[in-house]
Amino acid sequence: MNTRFTAKFVTICAATGLAVSLAGCSGGSLSENSGSDSAAQGNTITLGSITTNSGTAAAYGEAEVAGFKLAISEINKAGGINGKKVKLESMDDKGDPTESSNAFNKLSGDDSVLAVLGPTISATTAAVAPLADQSKLVAIAPAATADSIESGNYLFRACFKDSYQGEIAARFAAKTLKVKKVAVLYGTGDPYSSGTAESFMKEAKQLGLDVVDQESSSSADDTEYSSQLQKIQASGAEFLYAPYYYSIAGPYIIPQARSVGFNGVVMGPDGYDGLKLTDNVSLYNKVYYTTHYSPDDKENSKVADFIKSFRSENKSDPNTFSALSYDTVYMAKQAIEKAGKNPTREQVRKALAGSKFDGVTGSFTLDKTGSPKKSVIVLEMKDGKPVFNSTVKPA
Amino acid sequence: MNSQLVMFISQIFNGLKIGSVYSLVALGYTMVYGIIRLINFAHGDFIMVGAYVLMLTAPAIIAMGMPAWVAVIPAILICVAVGVIVEKAAYKPVRERGNSMTALITAIAMSLLLENGAQAVFGADYKTIPTVFSIPSVNFGALHISGDTILTIVLGLVIMVGLQLYVSYTKRGKAMRAVSEDKEASILMGVNINSTITLTFAIGSGLAAVASLMYVAAYPQVSPTMGAMLGLKAFVAAVLGGIGSIPGAMIGGLTIGLIESLTKAYIGTITAGIITSAFSDAIVFGILIVVLLVKPSGIMGKNEGEKV
Repeated sequence: MNTRFTAKFVTICAATGLAVSLAGCSGGSLSENSGSDSAAQGNTITLGSITTNSGTAAAYGEAEVAGFKLAISEINKAGGINGKKVKLESMDDKGDPTESSNAFNKLSGDDSVLAVLGPTISATTAAVAPLADQSKLVAIAPAATADSIESGNYLFRACFKDSYQGEIAARFAAKTLKVKKVAVLYGTGDPYSSGTAESFMKEAKQLGLDVVDQESSSSADDTEYSSQLQKIQASGAEFLYAPYYYSIAGPYIIPQARSVGFNGVVMGPDGYDGLKLTDNVSLYNKVYYTTHYSPDDKENSKVADFIKSFRSENKSDPNTFSALSYDTVYMAKQAIEKAGKNPTREQVRKALAGSKFDGVTGSFTLDKTGSPKKSVIVLEMKDGKPVFNSTVKPA
Repeated sequence: MNSQLVMFISQIFNGLKIGSVYSLVALGYTMVYGIIRLINFAHGDFIMVGAYVLMLTAPAIIAMGMPAWVAVIPAILICVAVGVIVEKAAYKPVRERGNSMTALITAIAMSLLLENGAQAVFGADYKTIPTVFSIPSVNFGALHISGDTILTIVLGLVIMVGLQLYVSYTKRGKAMRAVSEDKEASILMGVNINSTITLTFAIGSGLAAVASLMYVAAYPQVSPTMGAMLGLKAFVAAVLGGIGSIPGAMIGGLTIGLIESLTKAYIGTITAGIITSAFSDAIVFGILIVVLLVKPSGIMGKNEGEKV
């Protein structure tokens, strides 16, 4: 007998129960709507959102919802989209693919929903992607970076993808930091971690870097990494690429790396955003990460305005996830406006595909797969705070 | 010293570091199982409760000028209270009316209740804890051993020996053993079963608070689900060592920690990269299965026939 099995069993039971009840709901609402005019032709446009507001990635989801709300309130103050008010229908997927599928089905059953913002993490987005294609409802993921989620159809994103981040990190190591010996540590159980690590290694080898050690953990939320880090230290690496989330890299990997005597550079992907620090902030010197947005980006005039209005609304500074989700809403707005007065879901997709967009996270064009090609910002930790280091332009 | 040797010894200590935490947790499982034959699945979550109390009280204690580890005192008090309440409110009524399966399900329910309760109160996000101990690490040439690790191992040993002595020689301890051997007979001998069981839970939960102190000293972060995997691994440790046996819990915990650390470090080299360090959990649980096939009662467990 084991708790995990039992817990899972309980979850599955609950999820099945939920799915059954949801199927009942959406069936009911469909038949109601079929007789009357679609709600999209009413006076409001609904944007659905699916985010992770509980569990490991809760901080991401919360930040995303804040970004959605800010953008939508701005749009409504400026007269809405095509003169219609915008309403947000926000749902929590708890970081669970089943929950996010249920949430998406619920939203797609509601005819007034023209686009879905989200989901938050790659695992839940992967579950939603085929559903988006099936129900012909656009989903724009603000920050899901896994390569595999691309459907090239109804799924789009506002962020760059993992392979791209790994490449940029390798280029940054070779060109900016000019290191020679690099090592990788990643969690095999998590496509985000392993995908980023893979593309890093590929690019590093192409750039002539020496990948001296390659270590892995069984999951991306282990607590103990000393054994692997000790080997990395012994391999003579000057640079460690460790793609993990903020809650793991901050309190576990970086302090443990320092305690086994590794004093080289530690670099990570955008999962380091909101890095949880222990009280000894000096451990975090020589830590870099790639991200989508920086408040210190002075070249982009939209950034200052965004920060100002975010602060007045939320009494705190926006992070990357808020910036990306803010852009996501404007991407949806641009597409809906372009699609015409009373657009169908298909028309919204047509308008969004291949479109060019200027936002707080940069200017970009969506490629065939629905992912943008954009510049990447590298941040460096200084005295426990992320500081703008440089912008790496697309190759 | 040879660098390979330094590496090996460091890996041993890495294993002892996490293993000693598993041991402390496993002691709690074993205590409760030994007396009432209940696998208290909520035990891992008692550790989570202890960790949150530490997180909340440590800043105040530091502000009062005391060392942060003093926060373990309120943590012990709260954990004991939670443990005793859980026993009185949930386990006892179920034990009196149901069978061992209903008690087990209740334990799982308590575990989920505590996890979701903590999430409702503190939110789902991870929170970091201030440094609890500032013990300098011990250096032998190129070998560094963190002070926390040594302290956790020593503390684990002290608690184990203390518990063993308590159970063997005190009146209360003898009552515990009597209840575990034969409930009905111990009632006839004048042992108050209910107070003995409550005391067991109090000790087990107090141990959870101590375990949470050592856990957050090594891994300075708390979250509502932190106890789940930790509890599971410690349960495996308790079973491996022979559930119900106090030295067994200690040996089981250290064994699991060592296997984990050494597989992470060497499995890739031994198998020429076919099996990577990512398999460490699979190997830990695989070894458990092998041990249980060979010796179902665990390393230190007694082989006892089913009473008719």
